[in-house]
Amino acid sequence: MRRGSILTLIAIGIVAGGIATAVAVLLPWLPEPASREAGRIHFVIWFVIVICIVIFAVVAAAIIYAVTHFRAAPDDLSDGPPIHGNTKLEIAWTLIPTVLVTAIAIVSAIVLSRNDAQGKDVLHVNVTAQQFAWSFSYPDAGGASSPILRLPKDRSVLLTLHAKDVIHSFWVPEFSQKEDTVPGLTTTLHITPDRLGTYAVICTELCGLGHALMRTTAVVMTPADFDKWLKSQKQASTTKG
Amino acid sequence: MTAATVEETHHVHATAGGGSPWRMLTRGGWIRAAWMTCLFGALGFGIVVLARWGGGWHPILATDPIVLVSLLVAAPLGFLAGLGAFDYWTYYALGGATRPEDHSGHGARSWKDYFRVNTDHKVIGMQYLVTTIFFFLIGGMLALLVRAELAKPGMQYFDNQTFNGLFSVHASLMIFLFIIPAFAGLANFVVPLMLGAPDMAFPRLNALSFWLLPIAGIMMVASFVVPGGAFACGWTGYVPLCSTHQPLGAVFFNQAVQWAGASSIMTALNFLVTIITMRAPGMTFWRMPLLVWANFTTSLLVVIATPFIAGSQFFSMFDHVMHTAFFDPAKGGYPLGYQHIFWFYSHPAVYIMMLPGFGIMSEVISVFSRKPVFGYRLMALSLMAIVVLGFSVWAHHMFVSGMASWLRVPMMITTLLIAVPTGIKIFSWLATMWEGKLHFNTPMLFALGFLSMFVIGGLSGVMLGAVPIDIHVSDTYFIVAHIHYVLFGGSVFTIFAGIYYWFPKMTGRMYDEKLGKLHFWLTFVGFNLTFFPMHIIGTQGMPRRVSDYAPKFADVNMFISIASFGLGASVLVFLYNMITSWRDGELAGSNPWRGMTLEWLVTSPPPVFNFDEIPQVVGSPYEYGVPGAQHAVLVPSKATEMEEVPV
Amino acid sequence: MTAITHDEAFGHDEHEHHGPPAAHYSSRISPGVLGMFLFIASEIMLFGSFFTAYFFVRVVNGTPWPTPPYHIPVQVATVNTFILMTSSATIHWATTAIKKGNTWGLRAGLLLTFLMGLSFLITQIFEYLRAGFNTSDGAFPTIFFCLTGLHGCHVFVGLSILLFMTIRAFRGHFSAEHHHGVEIGGIYWHFVDVMWIIVYMTVYIL
Ligand code: HEA
Ligand code: HEA
Ligand code: CUA
Ligand SMILES: [Cu+2]
Repeated sequence: MRRGSILTLIAIGIVAGGIATAVAVLLPWLPEPASREAGRIHFVIWFVIVICIVIFAVVAAAIIYAVTHFRAAPDDLSDGPPIHGNTKLEIAWTLIPTVLVTAIAIVSAIVLSRNDAQGKDVLHVNVTAQQFAWSFSYPDAGGASSPILRLPKDRSVLLTLHAKDVIHSFWVPEFSQKEDTVPGLTTTLHITPDRLGTYAVICTELCGLGHALMRTTAVVMTPADFDKWLKSQKQASTTKG
Repeated sequence: MTAATVEETHHVHATAGGGSPWRMLTRGGWIRAAWMTCLFGALGFGIVVLARWGGGWHPILATDPIVLVSLLVAAPLGFLAGLGAFDYWTYYALGGATRPEDHSGHGARSWKDYFRVNTDHKVIGMQYLVTTIFFFLIGGMLALLVRAELAKPGMQYFDNQTFNGLFSVHASLMIFLFIIPAFAGLANFVVPLMLGAPDMAFPRLNALSFWLLPIAGIMMVASFVVPGGAFACGWTGYVPLCSTHQPLGAVFFNQAVQWAGASSIMTALNFLVTIITMRAPGMTFWRMPLLVWANFTTSLLVVIATPFIAGSQFFSMFDHVMHTAFFDPAKGGYPLGYQHIFWFYSHPAVYIMMLPGFGIMSEVISVFSRKPVFGYRLMALSLMAIVVLGFSVWAHHMFVSGMASWLRVPMMITTLLIAVPTGIKIFSWLATMWEGKLHFNTPMLFALGFLSMFVIGGLSGVMLGAVPIDIHVSDTYFIVAHIHYVLFGGSVFTIFAGIYYWFPKMTGRMYDEKLGKLHFWLTFVGFNLTFFPMHIIGTQGMPRRVSDYAPKFADVNMFISIASFGLGASVLVFLYNMITSWRDGELAGSNPWRGMTLEWLVTSPPPVFNFDEIPQVVGSPYEYGVPGAQHAVLVPSKATEMEEVPV
Repeated sequence: MTAITHDEAFGHDEHEHHGPPAAHYSSRISPGVLGMFLFIASEIMLFGSFFTAYFFVRVVNGTPWPTPPYHIPVQVATVNTFILMTSSATIHWATTAIKKGNTWGLRAGLLLTFLMGLSFLITQIFEYLRAGFNTSDGAFPTIFFCLTGLHGCHVFVGLSILLFMTIRAFRGHFSAEHHHGVEIGGIYWHFVDVMWIIVYMTVYIL
């Protein structure tokens, strides 16, 4: 290959990569993270996106270069050079992707184990899903329960998920984590909210007629507000009981 | 023997038309199919009622088991028997003398021959293609209905159950009645020709495999009219939603998948035996065209994996109809078991839907680049690697399902590793084009569209394979985008490429190149406008399988819906081109693309028995640019030599 | 890898052929036998999916096996196992007999095999009727009936094949040169027998 054609190829690659980067950066892809785990997950997403952009740029450059430079005239009946292979190239494009995906796997595994590690002073919340509603209860607070999920900021929370009828799935886009609720099984999800606000809780597993409407809200409060709320709930439930 | 004499001997054996009314009723065909369908349906009804009466089960006239046994199992069997799919086997089983194959069911002389049990692999290939495109249109129209409903938030045209039914049937038709059988149809036409074989190894089995398909398709579409509506649990049919919380339509899905699955297992078995035992002399494994390799590996996947979806649908159906407890936790069942069994098939199934396309790409790209396929052996070996790895990744669909968490990291590693053999294929195609003489006919345009779009879909797949990312985007529109980039940008583009590429061979006529290019550009642009934005609303938080969504997604969804109608319109161009060109396109000649593989050595359309004499393979199939190189030579038959002696 | 040349090819049909040229045989294995092996491979996977369901219920879920108060009639199944194992021997006898041209050995062997298969099936039906539980009584009965039932269906198919083979044997269609049908049917019957041993071990013994 000529020097000139290598330069052209690289130039096309940079343009293609630039466009892909613009798409990645300029469009609003991810919701603002609201938990520590979400922050780590977003890091993985960006890490993988960078690798993807590079690969996309390489492939796009090769295609565009080939299309523009190797076009044959319609009446050109000649054949190209009979090249059957090239061992060095083949080794390169086996090894480089292997290294890249290994890197992705390592980063992912590290983030996964960090996200699953629990902090001290864990708040337990039981989540119950049924067609087509959510309910949340706080076993540490005498079983106080609520149709919306209230969580204190910066405290490690362990959700214990149950389903009464079919499979549902718990997702708060700003927390970037979801987990199915399965009848007959207990599943868990670990979240450390770190941004105050009100977010949507969405059921993401098809569960029947009302699947699209099976929503509620999650509220992240200051720890003081949360404790106050929890106490009032406790009183309400003991007076009732 | 020349084609003409074949034609003559043929007529003698063809079952004579007309005859006494009794013959008309009992001869295999549509009349017998009609009454045997009714008869078998009635028998099925009788058996259930008798069994329930004898066993003391109440109520005796239970709807679910009666519909299942009589309508979904017995009546289709009656139809097949009536049409004549089992005639020879029945005759043989009852002790009839073995008779030499008389080829009476072979070949097509009029359009009517496409509507009977035909044993010619070329006729069967066409039957497959036309049927699958028909179901593609229905599946596509259902998708357009889905898009119509989603154009605005809130409920417009359908209630929830109907909406869920729409996308469930859409996906099931696209997967089980379009992609998988369309590839089987193309391969049916091409593989025996490429091998230098006169037909498939088991022509009668081949015919039966085809006729199971319309049954499966009609069953899925018909589920819309049963009380309670169509199955509405997605094409994945997760339990316990699909097994115990769904109307009767769910059973239609369970059983239709069995028919389609049986069809695909039988075809795969046929391909494997054909490829192993019927290669022309000189055709070693390392001289087979990559399309044949692709179908060989796909068939391995089908034979090994498909029984698992059969199992999963049996269990779900038994839970529904017989109240068994496979997945009912209250009785000791285990709901996640369904997902493991289902994905142990359905992940390999995504490669069943991609590897034949890879094969088509190797043919098209090398012919239109006028260069040998780069790294031929590694291309074949990477297919095998995908097959092996494909069996070890099923749980990447279950990262958030609540399965044992230790399974996640191993499954992530195997999932990501699949990018390596796939990458080898992508880069080898690029290298095949490098320094070639590129001709941009329609098949090549679709091949280039495939290369770029499949890479995007594959890369989003790699993102999904990374567990932390999947935990965020699983079950959102990001998945819907991935699905369509790999299935439409991957499989459908390769199917279009294959149809355009072999259209001259199949029909003997050339398609309209201008319309072909128009079709490509409309599809390519419409496709990206429709499906690319789905990535964004997915990561932002729009879940899949919803009829209603948060108002902030309204604009993007409206945009997608408009684009999807444009995409739908592009299909009309394709249809118009196919129909008019088939009727009165330009004559194509036997080798319009100057290809080297065996199918281009015979006339277009090929003679009834493909080759007058089995060809001799002398070299590799892609020796473009090597002066004087040949893949195969046709040995002139003795008969022709005699005729050619001047009198 | 060497391809088989024209001379080695054994595909040319003895029947008078009008129509296609006979396909070139590119493998030593006959299409029928290969097809049967592949079919059995997919059958094994079908059983595999049922065993997976068994695994989830019994191992993952820890359902007691058998769930009290139910019992599994092990003795009956043991007797049945012996019947089926013997039938494997008789079908083997039948195939070796016809390879030597002994048509009466073939007929006797097939008949014996058929009768043993039939008695197996009838015994199993009686076992079902006396089991004391039904498919809908929980996960253990479900798996018990479905695994043994799936096998029972295969016995039924095997019996049908045996019946057709027997009819053809009595009509004199098989000979020392021409016994493909017996061989292929025999392979299937052996598969049914081996599968039973696995079902027996997992459902009744373990
Ligand atoms: C033709 C069909 C097809 C194909 C080929 C693929 C290919 C891949 N798919 Fe996809 N997938 C589907 C069809 C397909 N998929 C469908 C239908 C679903 C949804 C099912 C449902 O729930 O309804 C799904 C869902 C799905 C999920 C589950 C998401 C979820 O529900 O949460 C995952 C997760 O890992 C995944 C991953 C992958 C990967 C890693 C590949 C890989 O094989 C891709 C490999 C290709 C490339 C990577 C590109 C080319 C490679 C290079 C250029 C080399 C360099 C690359 C790197 C170094 C990264 N897919
Ligand atoms: C090969 C597979 C395939 C193909 C080709 C398509 C094609 C299309 N799909 Fe599909 N889709 C799936 C496979 C496929 N899909 C799968 C597996 C799912 C997941 C389902 C699930 O969640 O279970 C899915 C889900 C899915 C959804 C998500 C539903 C949801 O989660 O709520 C949507 C939404 O937009 C959609 C849209 C489309 C559109 C607009 C097309 C377009 O490309 C269609 C183009 C239009 C046509 C092809 C019609 C052409 C016909 C005419 C113009 C009329 C002419 C008529 C006559 C002459 C009679 N699809
Ligand atoms: Cu609950 Cu979807
Ligand atoms: Cu997968």
